[in-house]
Amino acid sequence: MKSLEVQTTPGTLPASGRERSKSGSWLAYLLMSPVLIYLLAVMAIPFGWAVYLSLTNKVVGVPETFVGLRNYAELLADSVFWKAVWNTLVFTLVAVILKAVFGMIMALVLNENIVARNFFRVMLFLPWTIPTIVSVFTWQWIYSDVGGVLNALLLKTGLIDSPVGWLATPDLAMFSVILVNVWRGIPFMGIAILAGLQTVSKEMYEAAMLDGAGAIKRFFYMTLPSVKEVTILSSVITTIWTLNDFEIIWLLTRGGPDNGTQVLSTLSYTVGFLNMSLGKAIAISVITLPPLIMLINYVTKRSLASDK
Amino acid sequence: MKNTLGKQITVYATLALLLLFALFPLYWMVITSFKSNGEIYSMTPTFWPKEFLGTAYDRLINEKGFMTNIKNSLLVSLIVSVFSIVVSMLAAYAISKLKFRGRSFISKSILYAYLMPRAVLFIPLYMLVTAIGINNSIYGLMLIYPTITIPYATWMLISYFKSIPDEIEEAAMIDGCSRISTMTKIIFPLSAPGIAATFIFSFTLCWSEYLYALVVVTKGADKTITLGLSDMIVGDVFAWGPLMGGSIVASIPVIIMYLFTSKYMVSGMTVGGVK
Repeated sequence: MKSLEVQTTPGTLPASGRERSKSGSWLAYLLMSPVLIYLLAVMAIPFGWAVYLSLTNKVVGVPETFVGLRNYAELLADSVFWKAVWNTLVFTLVAVILKAVFGMIMALVLNENIVARNFFRVMLFLPWTIPTIVSVFTWQWIYSDVGGVLNALLLKTGLIDSPVGWLATPDLAMFSVILVNVWRGIPFMGIAILAGLQTVSKEMYEAAMLDGAGAIKRFFYMTLPSVKEVTILSSVITTIWTLNDFEIIWLLTRGGPDNGTQVLSTLSYTVGFLNMSLGKAIAISVITLPPLIMLINYVTKRSLASDK
Repeated sequence: MKNTLGKQITVYATLALLLLFALFPLYWMVITSFKSNGEIYSMTPTFWPKEFLGTAYDRLINEKGFMTNIKNSLLVSLIVSVFSIVVSMLAAYAISKLKFRGRSFISKSILYAYLMPRAVLFIPLYMLVTAIGINNSIYGLMLIYPTITIPYATWMLISYFKSIPDEIEEAAMIDGCSRISTMTKIIFPLSAPGIAATFIFSFTLCWSEYLYALVVVTKGADKTITLGLSDMIVGDVFAWGPLMGGSIVASIPVIIMYLFTSKYMVSGMTVGGVK
């Protein structure tokens, strides 16, 4: 370890060492070049170009002219845009909180000494593994007005008197899309928190129990602090994903009814591909970037810090 | 730690509720695919098919489109995953084992690329493939899917490679091994399980992708399985039998792959950001 570090730290070395570190650098860039060139050409440059196009009146199939910040001004004056902002916040906040709470419950249960624990872990993980589009269709069928099992069950148990249109009114539709997102997302939180829980020592618990700490006290003073980090980090990652969820909402409601579930990602798609205003559609994405970058920065800082 | 009876009951009851919530939709998907149309659309749903029928699957197989969708998805997912894993292995080796200027900037950029959502990137990527003229074909997807898989695979592999002690490599280098041969003969073989798991996850990411496919491919012959499924909905008419059957067909490969790698699932997910 040491000998290598001496050889590869530039500046403080004899000439031969510097030579070698240079060739090490050269080799590193050679090995990374396919990835770097690809990411630059297919991700970074098109992205920069797109940001420029958000300052134009680009429409599909027509050359663009520069319009400055007009797309942004129009968006900020548009009530549908603000509705989408609000819906995005509601959708994300409610979904992430529910996923964190149920993920925590899932992790606590799986951390207990239960029979066939690995089998149950895999079973509880299944909703996360299947393609999103499959979970959407399955839930759409469960919500269905005709033959839908959710209404049938609730009617049978007497919880409702008449069938409910789960996707028919704005509020219910919001509830329904959140439920699908939560169903899919719990396993990720659960498994991440479980990994954190498994690093907590059993001895500590036993000592606390001997001292007479009750279950609730032990949870708040021992369990929760020890998985706080991992819970926050996986919640932030989940927030990034939820903030940009497109498939569940698009396939279930198309942002409707009456824009009741219109979020920024579905609005961006609608404006770009149904109204063909690509410039404005990109502007919607660009507006979401500052909070997104803050969240991503948080994750990179945490993950890279724990690498060292 | 002795569990009291009350605690045992709470734990198992909670587990039962979680399992019910997680698995009921999947159960419903499976039994619907075997029901007759009459049974599917009856006012009171049945919780076990009166008779197991294969009609939904017959329709899927005979409708040529769906088989083409599966073939396209297999092709795109395989090619993209193979390409991604190869280039990511090289990059991840450099980032995890070599010291060079700009290392932390590059590893940060990779993580950034991994976390950058598709909802932000789909229009730039759509415009790129349109500009090149490979929109409306699976080649367009082959070009852009690595934006999902490369950052992911590189990030995962960095963690796997880092977990191999440097001393092993040093010993080999003292014995006269070159950097390249320690990489190919020591680091890669030792990380084989991690590489395989990363490959499988990359495959499932491509297999399940919908948004990019939706904006890039509109022509029938090049559609992937996710587009094929959404095409089964015509207007407001849902053919639930074939739709659920198709959903199962789309899920089986990913579920099998996850079962094989479930051992690495936890470590894979936790090293990938959630430390």
